[in-house]
Amino acid sequence: MIIEINKLKKIYAGRTVTDIEQLTINTGETVGVVGNNGAGKTTLFRMLLDLIRPDSGEILSKGKNVAAADQWKQYTASYLDEGFLIDYLTPEEYFIFIGGLHHMGPREVMDYLHGYEEFFNGEILERGKYIRDFSKGNQNKIGITASLMQQPELLVLDEPFANLDPTTQIRLKAHLRLLKSGKLTTLISSHDLNHVTDVCDRIILFEKGKVIKDIYTTENTLEELEAYFSQ
Amino acid sequence: MFSKFLHHQWIGFWRSRNKGGTIAAQVILVFFALYLIGVCFLLGFVMEDLIDKFLPGRDVFTVFNGMILYYFAIDFILRLQIQELPTLAITPYLHLNIPKRKLVNFLQFRSLMSVINIFPLIIFFPFCIRNIGPEYGNFSCAIYLTAIFSLVIFNNYAALYFKRVSAENIKIVIPAILLLAIVGGLEYLKIFSIAAFSDQLFSFIVAHPFAGLVFPLLAIIIFLINDRYLRNNLYLENLSSGQEKKSSTDYPFLDSFGAAGTLAALEIKLILRNRRPKATVTKALLLLFYGFLFYKGDLIASNQFGKMLFPAVFMTGNTIMIYGQFMFGWQAAEFDGMLANRVQIKDFFGAKLILLTISASVLTILSTFYAYLSWKILIIHLAAYLYNIGVSTIIVLYFATRNYKHIDISKGAQFNWEGVSASTMLLALPILLSPYLIYLPLSLIGPYWGLLGITVLGIAGLLSRSFWISFLVREFNKRKHKIAAGFRERS
Repeated sequence: MIIEINKLKKIYAGRTVTDIEQLTINTGETVGVVGNNGAGKTTLFRMLLDLIRPDSGEILSKGKNVAAADQWKQYTASYLDEGFLIDYLTPEEYFIFIGGLHHMGPREVMDYLHGYEEFFNGEILERGKYIRDFSKGNQNKIGITASLMQQPELLVLDEPFANLDPTTQIRLKAHLRLLKSGKLTTLISSHDLNHVTDVCDRIILFEKGKVIKDIYTTENTLEELEAYFSQ
Repeated sequence: MFSKFLHHQWIGFWRSRNKGGTIAAQVILVFFALYLIGVCFLLGFVMEDLIDKFLPGRDVFTVFNGMILYYFAIDFILRLQIQELPTLAITPYLHLNIPKRKLVNFLQFRSLMSVINIFPLIIFFPFCIRNIGPEYGNFSCAIYLTAIFSLVIFNNYAALYFKRVSAENIKIVIPAILLLAIVGGLEYLKIFSIAAFSDQLFSFIVAHPFAGLVFPLLAIIIFLINDRYLRNNLYLENLSSGQEKKSSTDYPFLDSFGAAGTLAALEIKLILRNRRPKATVTKALLLLFYGFLFYKGDLIASNQFGKMLFPAVFMTGNTIMIYGQFMFGWQAAEFDGMLANRVQIKDFFGAKLILLTISASVLTILSTFYAYLSWKILIIHLAAYLYNIGVSTIIVLYFATRNYKHIDISKGAQFNWEGVSASTMLLALPILLSPYLIYLPLSLIGPYWGLLGITVLGIAGLLSRSFWISFLVREFNKRKHKIAAGFRERS
């Protein structure tokens, strides 16, 4: 068990956006978080990363409350939105900066990125542009790659498939499946039911901040989810 | 179509997200402009008496003629500083069925609607009508009015053209600054005088009125140049940032500071690659000349260091105050990432301290040119410098943990009030006043004792830095969610 959520509540302007009684995520799971806009997916991720404070309750990462201590940063990598990128850096500079935080030298970082050439499709490295001048899809690629590069034990991605071109979506899916090693726990939110059921072992469905469904993926899962969303 | 564009700008202004701040800033600016217009009116109507009073015995017309080009030379430099490029965000209109001609015309026309264009008219027109007319005849008067009006137009478009071209190619700024420096220097050394040239020119025009038509001609030419430039560059790619290749850089000398050094290097890039922080830091260099207002021979001779302490603290520490007041806000856009990444808050503060220390050191070294006034100034600056890096830095960073306002660093710095709040305003007070708490009592023994006291305080701050860093980290952790939430609210 890597994540344990107890009685977590967040209220914005009188509206409850997160209300989780009890939820645990086991080590090595790949978990898909789905739900319509306003279901509280991003809010949950932000609380998990100690970016916003819950109104009550707690999130334990490896048994430690994330809001109390910084240890979770040692093994957690995340990409939620462009706010995680440093937009006045070139992609190379950004990767080297992030690598440096994890004690990777510039050479090591560039070697590592070598393995992502296919994923980058020649669009990212050595383009002579700052991150702010890239398209949204390519910015996404930079953020996702930077988070993967940290070789985390817990990976948190908010809508990683959004804005990506079809080829990259397929490559990302393959890559995420490849990463399942028993050690890496992944949390992915997505609006694309095909992708999440493809990649994830477990799907958690949120509605207005509450867990509505928590199921292990089988061949019927996609239908089940589609049935829920087409109500 | 013009009225529709104007209407869009108007509602765009009122519906802007941080409208509280923008409107407050605009209101202040409007009052300021009205005040200036009033002053100009007064100047215009009593100009004759003023010249008589301040320059008795000089020919009123010679002085007036001399003033004209002088005014417009300063006017041009001021425009480069404060006149905004008219930016109707034209992107949403480019693909619509609107002729490009109209868009260009609108931009050109819109740029004239600036209060800077009104000042010269109010200052010069009354004198022309009341004095030039009766003295040299109505025709000459009309030529004067045309000339001044044309100069306004000329300056308006020349400044905008220069700004547009220099935004695209920064290299032309250097020769331009050189040219300005040379003209300024010649004027200062009294080899060439703009005023004398201006007088000759306008005396010539009085004698040969038709020569005055050269002004409207020049105005039309610069208008057309601007027009062509705009029409040829009205493309999305020209509106966004430059096309030159950006390369990766690093600053090896900061590596020795470890993780904090890496973060400091990051922030140096932030400053160099974004408009507002770059302009803010450049301003710091200009403020180095502030001392000339304060450092007077008699103050130095009588060791009245108290009166010189203020400019010394301000000059050696102005980046700490002016850049530091928006600390964290500069990084608003990537603040979430900073928090979620494996960055230790201790290093985060360490980086800020490195950066502030480097900037204060550079300013202090540059300010040594005041030594030609007296070596005593060096001592004051040294004391102020140690105080700044030891104490001011901590004060600034403490107040920074109470600043929750997002800043868009790609916008210009001039009249930009985004991110300014009460705490940023109050920040300067403790920094500028606290050295006096030490200096004043000790200076009763002797002025050098006062300086020594400040130095000791600064060194004490430096030696106890690690204590203060953990204090700041504690304060930061108390409020980090609030800061992050504030930064997420983009304006």
